[in-house]
Amino acid sequence: MAAWDLTVTVEDLGPDAPPIQISVTSDLHIGGVILKLVEQTNLKKDWSDHALWWEQKQQWLLRTGWTLDKCGVHADARLVFTSQHKALRLGLPNGVTLKMRACFSSPVFRTVIAICRVLNLRHPEELSLLRPVEEKKKKKDKDSSEELYDLTDVPLTAGSVQALYNGMPAHFADSPKTEAVYKMLSVSLPSPAPEAIARLYRPASVVDKTHINTRWLDSSRSLMQQGIQENDKLWLRFKYYTFHDMDPKYDAVRLTQLYEQARWAILLEDIDCTEEEMMLFGALQYHIGKLSLSQDMVSSCQGMDDLESALKSLEVKMVGDSNSTDMLENMTAPELNDYLKIFRPKRLTLKGYKQYWCKFQDTSISYYKSSEDRFGEPIQQLNLKGCEVAPDVSLAGQKFCIRLLIPAPEGMNEIYLRCENEKQYSQWMAACKLASKGLTLLDISYQNEVKNIQTFLSMQRSNCAAPVAQTDDSINTLGLVSPRYHKKYKPKQLTPRILEAYQNVAQLSLTSAILRFLQIWQALPDFGTSYFMVRFKGSRKDEVLGIANNRLIRIDLGIGDVVKTWRYNNMRQWNVNWDIRQMAIEFDGNINIAFSCVNADCKVVHEYIGGYIFMSTRSRQQSDTLDEQLFHKLTGGHDAL
Amino acid sequence: MDDIDAMFSDMLQEMDLLTQSLGEEAESAPLPKPSTIPGPQEMNFSVGFTDFNASLHNLEDNDLDALMADLVADISATEEKFATEKDTSKGSAPVAPIPSQPQSNFSLPASNDTSRHATFSNSIAAPPPPPASKPSKDELEEQVKADKIKLALEKLKEAKVKKLVVKVEITDGSSKTLMVDERQTVRDVIDNLFEKTHCDCNVDWSVCETNPDLQTERGFEDHENIVEPLSTWTRDTENKVIFQEKKDKYEVFRNPQNFYMWKKEKQSLKDMKEKDKEQLLEENFCGASVIVPDLEGVLYLKEDGKKSWKQRYFLLRASGLYYSPKGKTKASRDLVCLVQFDNVNVYYCKEYRIKYKAPTDHCFILKHPQIQKESQYIKFLCCDDEWIMTLWVTGIRIAKYGKQLYDNHKAAVRKAAGSATWANRTIQASSSPSTPSPTPKAKAANGHAPQPAVETKGSSNQTSFPPPPPSMETLPPPPPDPMLPPPPPAPPSTTKVNKFPPPPQFPQSSFPPPPMDDLPPPPPPPPEDSELPPDFLPPPPPFFSSCGGEALPPPPPDPMASLPPPPPAPQNFASSGGAPPPPPPPPPPPAPAPAANKPAGSIRKVAPPPPKRTTPQLAAPSGGNLMSELMTAMQKKRTQ
Repeated sequence: MAAWDLTVTVEDLGPDAPPIQISVTSDLHIGGVILKLVEQTNLKKDWSDHALWWEQKQQWLLRTGWTLDKCGVHADARLVFTSQHKALRLGLPNGVTLKMRACFSSPVFRTVIAICRVLNLRHPEELSLLRPVEEKKKKKDKDSSEELYDLTDVPLTAGSVQALYNGMPAHFADSPKTEAVYKMLSVSLPSPAPEAIARLYRPASVVDKTHINTRWLDSSRSLMQQGIQENDKLWLRFKYYTFHDMDPKYDAVRLTQLYEQARWAILLEDIDCTEEEMMLFGALQYHIGKLSLSQDMVSSCQGMDDLESALKSLEVKMVGDSNSTDMLENMTAPELNDYLKIFRPKRLTLKGYKQYWCKFQDTSISYYKSSEDRFGEPIQQLNLKGCEVAPDVSLAGQKFCIRLLIPAPEGMNEIYLRCENEKQYSQWMAACKLASKGLTLLDISYQNEVKNIQTFLSMQRSNCAAPVAQTDDSINTLGLVSPRYHKKYKPKQLTPRILEAYQNVAQLSLTSAILRFLQIWQALPDFGTSYFMVRFKGSRKDEVLGIANNRLIRIDLGIGDVVKTWRYNNMRQWNVNWDIRQMAIEFDGNINIAFSCVNADCKVVHEYIGGYIFMSTRSRQQSDTLDEQLFHKLTGGHDAL
Repeated sequence: MDDIDAMFSDMLQEMDLLTQSLGEEAESAPLPKPSTIPGPQEMNFSVGFTDFNASLHNLEDNDLDALMADLVADISATEEKFATEKDTSKGSAPVAPIPSQPQSNFSLPASNDTSRHATFSNSIAAPPPPPASKPSKDELEEQVKADKIKLALEKLKEAKVKKLVVKVEITDGSSKTLMVDERQTVRDVIDNLFEKTHCDCNVDWSVCETNPDLQTERGFEDHENIVEPLSTWTRDTENKVIFQEKKDKYEVFRNPQNFYMWKKEKQSLKDMKEKDKEQLLEENFCGASVIVPDLEGVLYLKEDGKKSWKQRYFLLRASGLYYSPKGKTKASRDLVCLVQFDNVNVYYCKEYRIKYKAPTDHCFILKHPQIQKESQYIKFLCCDDEWIMTLWVTGIRIAKYGKQLYDNHKAAVRKAAGSATWANRTIQASSSPSTPSPTPKAKAANGHAPQPAVETKGSSNQTSFPPPPPSMETLPPPPPDPMLPPPPPAPPSTTKVNKFPPPPQFPQSSFPPPPMDDLPPPPPPPPEDSELPPDFLPPPPPFFSSCGGEALPPPPPDPMASLPPPPPAPQNFASSGGAPPPPPPPPPPPAPAPAANKPAGSIRKVAPPPPKRTTPQLAAPSGGNLMSELMTAMQKKRTQ
C-alpha cells in the first residue's frame, strides 16, 4: 500500500512549532499514528490524555483501532494532536468563576457529569453548560481579580463514591486553597451590592427571556466540536427544573448553588413575583446570609462541627430542663414590667399616646395607670395569642412602636405600643412575637429573638447613618431585592417591610431557610418554564413556546397570555425534521403541532423536551446510576420515540 | 432528693383534694364538668351553652349517659392514679358517680381516650412487683417512688389538657354530645362520630362550624385541632358544630383536573383516566412545594367595611390572594395583595344577597378565626356561580394547607376503606346471628395476637369476627367494632357480658374462655402491679370501668379468674357503684341466648343479643370489657 504524508500539529511543541509530517499508509490505525507521532516529537511526557482532533471536520479521532481509511483521513487532512482535558473557566450559579479542567472530547452530557463529580454536585443530569451572556459594560481591570478560584490541579476522579474528609470530599481537603473553593461552593455568598445587580443583564420581556435559552450547548457533542477553546468561559446552570431526591445531608453544594441560581433569577427579575413575595425572598436572603456568615467562623474546623452541634443541643436541653425545674420549684414565670406608651386608634378621635405601667406575663399584656396600681385590677388585659405583630420603627426619628392587631369576636383591635429605646423595644417586641405564637417568655427562643431584633435594628442604623457610602461588608437591604424595588422604595421604607417578613422566618435554621426559599420559588406560577421563540406551522407571527417539566405552553406575544398548554403525558411521539429544522409533536386525540425555532437551534428545544421526559423516568431506586443511553436516545433526535 | 419528694407529695395531695372535691361535685350535680378535673388554670367549659342547666335539659338522656361514661372514665383514671400513689384503700372513697339514668347505654371511653389511658397505665404497669407475696419493702418503696414521679408527671400533663363538651348536630336531625380534648384532631372526632352514628363513613363526612351571625359555614380540616377553633367562640355564641357530608371537602382529589385544568371545558375533562388524575395529583402535591391551581378571574369584593361590591380581577398564588388594580396588567409585579392566608380561614356564606346585597348568593369570606361578628377586617368575596366559588375556596385551602390536605385525604380514604370492610363483615356476622361465635375463627384470631400485653389487639380478637382483614393493619383496632349495626348479634363484647352475665357454669366448663388466651400467659404469680395492691382491690368501680381493659393488671393467679362472672354479678355491679349502671329493664339474659350458643359449640360467652337498642354506639373497645370482666371475677372471688 502506498505511503503518504500526514500533517499533524502537536500543540505541546508550542504555537510556533511547525507541524510534524509522518509517513503513513491508509491501513494504519489511529493508535499507530499516535505512536509514530510521539516517537517523532522526542518529548518525554505522559501522552495518555492526548488524542487527534481533525480540524476541518471538527471531530475527534478517538477510536484508536480504526484505520485512517475507515476514518476517512487522507493526505489533505490537518490533524491536531492535543490533550482531551483542558482548562475551562466555569461560571457557577453563584456568580463566581472557577477555573477547572474539563473533558473537551466527550459529549457535553458526560463532561458535565465529570465536572459535577469534582464539585460534589449530585444529579448532574439536571445541569448543563451554556455560553455566557456578554457583560453589559466593558470591564477595564476586573478580569484579573475574578479568577480567584482554581481547581485545575485537582484530578478528575473516576470513582463515584466520595470519601469525606473534614466534612468535605477528600479532594478538596488537599490544601487551604481547595478548601476555600469548597467553602465558596457550599456556603451561600453575601448579598451583592445593588450596583452589581444593576450592572447585570436583566430580561425585560418574555422575548428577552428566550435569549438565554439559545445558548445551551448540545449535550450529545463535545465541547471542541461546539467551538469551545481552552480557557473559554462557560456557565454551569441548573437546566431542568426538576430536582430529584434533594437531601440536605449530601447536597450541600447542590442546595447552595440551586439557592444561588434561584436568588439571582429573582434579583434579576428573570422570574416575576409580587411585592409580598419579594419581601419574603429578601427576608430569607438576609437570614441565610447572616447564618452563612456565622457558619464561616466555625467552619475553620469542620470536623468539630458535629461535636459542637451535639454539645449545643445538649446545652439547650439542659437549659430547657433547668428551666422547667425552676418553674416547678418556684412557680414564677418571668415577666416584663415597664412604662410604655399606648395608643388605640379609633375613628374620629385624635387621642395620642398615653403612658401606662405595662406588665407582660404569659401571653398577655396588662396595663395599669401607674406602677403603684400594679397589684390592683388592670385597666385592660390583652391576650396576644393569635394576634398580628408588626414593627413600626424609625431609628432616625427614634420611634420604636409595636403595632398589634389583636383578634376579637368583633374584629381586630389595633393597638400601638411605643417604647423608649432599642433595648426596651427588642425585649417587648420579642415577647409579643412569641406570644402571638402562644409561647411565653419562658421559651428558649426568647433571648434569640431579642438578639435578632437588635441586629436588625443595627442594620437599619447603618443604613441611616451612611445612606450614600455603603461599605461592602454591611448588609444592604437594596441588595436583597430586585432593581425594580430600588426605584420604588428608599432603603428607609424597604427595611421595615423586609423586617416584617423576616419575623416569620427568623427561627429557621440555615438549611430550612434555604429550603423555604426554594419552596417559595418553586411555587411561583412561572417557575420552571424555559422560553423559546418559535413559529408554529401555518402561523405567520412569532410566538413563544414555554417548556416546563410537565407541559408545553404556547404564549401569544401580543397579549402575553397563555393560549394553550399541552401536557407531556398526552404526548404520543415527537420528531425533528432536520432538513427544515422543524419539530413535530403528536398528542393524544390526533392533535398535531409543528413549529420551527426562530432564534435557538432546533436541537436545543428538542433536547429540552426530551430531557424533561428523561427526568421523569428517574425513580428513587435507581438514583445512583444514570441511563446515559436513554438520555441520548430521548434527546438526540435521531430516532422517533 | 428529699425536697423533690416532698414537693411531689405536696402536689399529689393537692391534686387529690381536687379530685375529691370533684367527686363530690359529681355526686351532687348530675353532670360535673370534665373540665374541672384539669385544675384551676384550665377552666374551660362547654361551648355554646349560655346556661349550663339549660344545656343539660337540651341533652337527651343518652347524651348524658355517653357523656357520663366519658366522664367517669376520666375521673376514674385520675382516681386510679391516686390509688397507686397513695397505696391506700382511699380510692374507694371519693368517687362513685352513678348516673341514675334509667336507660344506660354505658359505653366505655371512646377509643381516643382509651388509647391515651392505655399508654398511661402501661407505663405504670411496667415494673410490677408481685403483690401477693410482698417483696422486700425497700425495693418496693423504690419502685413506688419511681412510679410516683411518673404518675405525677403524667398527671401534670393530663391536668393541662383542655377539654370541651360539644354538641354535634347531625344532618338527620339528631345530635350527639362529645367530650373533646385539645389533643384530638378533627379526624379523631370524625372517627368517634362514625362509631356513634350509622353513617356510611365515606370520606366526605366532615365536622363543620356554622356561625348564624355571619351566616357562614366552614368544614374543619381533618388535621386541625378541634378545640382550637371552638375556643374562639364567644360565650353567648349560637354557633354550631355540624356533622355532615360535604362533597367539596375532597373533590379536588377525586377530580383534580377540574381544579388544575379549570380553564378547559369541563365536559372534555369528564372522562379523564384515573392514571392521569393520579399523575396530576402527584405533580401538584408531591413535589418540593405544592402547586396551587392557577385560578384567576373576576370576583366581586366588598372590603374594609364598605357597603358596595366591586368587581376585580383576582389571581390566586401560593403566597396569597391578589387582584390586579384597574389599568394595570396582570403581571406579578403589579398585583395587589388582598390577603395572605397565614392568619385567615375561608368560609362559605349563605344568603348574602339579602344580608349584604351581594350580586349573587355564592359568596365566601376570609377572616381571622377569632372574628365572630361583622367587621371591617373580614374580606367578602362573591362569585358568579357555585362552581367558581368551590374552585376558589378549594384553591385557597390548597394554598393555605398545602400537602397536609393531600395527607388528610389519604388518611380519610384509608379509614373509609377500613370501615367499609368492617361494615361488610358486620353485616355478614349479623346475618347469621344464631351462630355468632365460630370457635375456630376465634382461635385463629387469638393465635394472631400472641402478645397478651397489647390490650387493643386482644380487643379485636375478642369479637367473634373473623380475624381482621389485612387492611385492618392500618386501622387502629377499636373503631371498627362500634360499626356494628344497632342490634348486632353482639360479638361477646364484655360490656354486654356485664349486663347479662351468662350462666356461670356454662362458659367455665365448656371451654377456655377466650379472653384468657389474650392474657398474659396464665400468670402463676401474677405480676400484679404496685398499683393494684390487694387491699385496694375492691376498687371503686369507676376505676375499673375506666382504666378498664387498657392497662389492667393481669388477673390474679387464681385459676378461677377465668370464671365468667358469677350469676349474681348484676347485683354485684350495682352495688359496686360506678360500674355500668345496672342494665335497666332488661332482665338477665333471655334464655334462648345460651341455648343458641351451646349448639354452636362456641366457647364464647356469647351475650344474648342485647335488647334492642336504638343507639348504635356500642362503642366499647373491648379490651376494656375483657378487663372489667376479669375484675368482676376477681371481685367475686374476693367476696367468696
